[in-house]
Amino acid sequence: MTEVPKIVYDRLRAAQKNRVLPDAALPDSEHPDANLLTAFAERTLSADERDATLEHLVLCKDCREVIALTLPVTEIANAPIAAETEVDRAAPVPSKTERSWLTLSNWPKLAWPTLRWAALAAGVVAVASSLLLMHPGKLNQATLPSANQQVATPVPPVSGAQIASSSVPPSPTISPMQPSAIPPKTDGAQLNPKTHLAKKSSPPTPEAGRLMTSHQPVPSSEAPEVAATGAAVTSEPPAEATLMAQAEAPAIEKAKPPLQDTEAPAIEANDQQKPKTALAPRLPGANAMSVAKLAGNSSRPLAQHGVAWTISDGVLRRSLDSGQTWQDALHPNHALLCYATHGDDIWTAGQAGTLFHSADGGATWVQVQPSTKGQQLSSDVTNIDLQGSALHGNLPGNAPRPVQVVLSTSNNDIWISADGGTTWQKQ
Amino acid sequence: MTKPFQPGHVADTAATLYERSGAAAYGISAERFAAILDEILRKHPSQGPLHKSPQSSPHASPEQRADFCAALRLEELALARACAAGNEQAWHDFISRYRQKLHSMALHITRDAAHAAELADSLFADLYGVNAREELRKSKLLSYTGRGSLEGWLRTVMAQEFINRYRKQKRTVSLEEQTEEGVQFAAAVPEPACTSDPRLETATDEALAELSSEDRVTLASYYLDGRTLAEIAATLGLHESSVSRRLDRLAAALRKRILAGLRTQGMSHAQAAEALEADVRDLRLNLRSRLTQDSAATTFPGSRKIPARDGGDGSTD
Repeated sequence: MTEVPKIVYDRLRAAQKNRVLPDAALPDSEHPDANLLTAFAERTLSADERDATLEHLVLCKDCREVIALTLPVTEIANAPIAAETEVDRAAPVPSKTERSWLTLSNWPKLAWPTLRWAALAAGVVAVASSLLLMHPGKLNQATLPSANQQVATPVPPVSGAQIASSSVPPSPTISPMQPSAIPPKTDGAQLNPKTHLAKKSSPPTPEAGRLMTSHQPVPSSEAPEVAATGAAVTSEPPAEATLMAQAEAPAIEKAKPPLQDTEAPAIEANDQQKPKTALAPRLPGANAMSVAKLAGNSSRPLAQHGVAWTISDGVLRRSLDSGQTWQDALHPNHALLCYATHGDDIWTAGQAGTLFHSADGGATWVQVQPSTKGQQLSSDVTNIDLQGSALHGNLPGNAPRPVQVVLSTSNNDIWISADGGTTWQKQ
Repeated sequence: MTKPFQPGHVADTAATLYERSGAAAYGISAERFAAILDEILRKHPSQGPLHKSPQSSPHASPEQRADFCAALRLEELALARACAAGNEQAWHDFISRYRQKLHSMALHITRDAAHAAELADSLFADLYGVNAREELRKSKLLSYTGRGSLEGWLRTVMAQEFINRYRKQKRTVSLEEQTEEGVQFAAAVPEPACTSDPRLETATDEALAELSSEDRVTLASYYLDGRTLAEIAATLGLHESSVSRRLDRLAAALRKRILAGLRTQGMSHAQAAEALEADVRDLRLNLRSRLTQDSAATTFPGSRKIPARDGGDGSTD
């Protein structure tokens, strides 16, 4: 943070000192009364009153302190929303994979945890590319086993189960491929067999489609052979494969809990799914690169810990990894100046009354044109404030939504919408 | 009750407001409620841009009065006034709604169980109005006007009470400390502000005066009070990152403005820069020690040592 010149500090302090008498004990006449301060803190003052109160606050340390003391704890804590947690736990996996892929060129310097992910990524790329190689010839017997070698090697302990799972056509055969159709963020949800079935009908990305078509025609009788090859290969695993086996361990751990919660079709089916799910998290890992590229901004980021927003040069940017990398999220014609988030609700606004709202964490944006009584908002919006829930969240009966949207403009108008932007009031 | 509501649609509005407030349940008559609203209206003559001139304020357009009243927290206002009037049902509701909250607020403010209990108790005493004479019980709830939430108001009143007590206590403590530690404790390093170039002061004051009040509050909160970005953001209704950006912007703008101001007063560019830079260097030390001192002073006197003077002489470290 840039330091202000010392003289600024001195003059601020001097102004404050000249103003506040040493023995002043908050007489009503001199300080804004509790009603005003409350309304100020809750931001329900008119512009004039707000200005007057701010003028007082500049000079009055006591009132600033009163305001600070009255801040509800929740506003400072910036607490995450409880509903996010489940998916969140699985979410860091793809981003780490992605990062390790980017740093793969520094291979010798990598620490073990990163190496693990790099190995995982490399293995997954091998699988993906060999499956792609297989594509032109569809049922090319020479390439198929080699492709499956890679798939089977990392999980020698469960290769027996692998046989069983492969012999149940067609869903288990497909499902290891299935994750590639879905953005990595949904890992947790997608391990649920039910989601599998539901998602199967949805159109997969081109790449995933190819994988599926190339794999589907494999006769189920061939599967045991495949698995056997896999088991054989484990006796002379390449260095990568060992790494992969290690890397797989956490993946299995992660994959299991969702399964236990689901209504499994049958007990034996449940058993068969273990190898499948062990593979599943690995494949979405591979897609951290491909899907991220394919889906780009349309992949749905859930409101989660790693998500951060910023505005630079009038463009709203989003980071999914706590600020390490940034992507443009919204780039309208007019420069954006401010934004506010509340869970998955994101509002951003800027010059010439530009206002956008996303209710799904930035996946889709809707432009909002506030107007009231024939007037349209056309001045620059300098601040957005989403209020309602944090301030009154602990009052019983106050649901977190609807949030009141309060826009402050460069010409000191305040626009307020209590219904998510449908109707507006101007102050 | 001297200024009854004007007849016509305003009276209708008054009836609607009365309806909305649920004041009837607490035994407040429609007339009494209208009088309360009238009193609040006159307390806030500044409401609305058309109310600037004092003589016209109580008689501002009926529509504006109605708008103002409709924006009040009528239900909470009715509850507060009914409590003040000693209505049992109202007190029952008040206690069940706010008792627990008041205690956790007190704990949040004092961060100390014993002080919290004391603070909450004294606030309750004020709310009951037990300090006044028997017949004329004057509850503090009478001063609630419904402009903010009742909970927020209680919080604010409690914080004000805390600051008041704290200041009294602080004076006592500092006297004790002075006697304990000797007078040299209070022997002051001369105020650095006095030593600065008057031209620099003028230029700075001008630069500061050009800022918006919100910007100045941001500066004061951050540099004088040592508030965190998150606290400032919550106070002003901004995002934390906007506060951080604003502070950066302000520091740069102030520097530029002060330099310009110095040059209009006849300093050369180099002189002006030097005057400013010299200050920045010793600021690093001074500001740190002063800020820590200031932030130590924000806690309850029971938990920390308090510096000798509010003025802060920077001599403690």
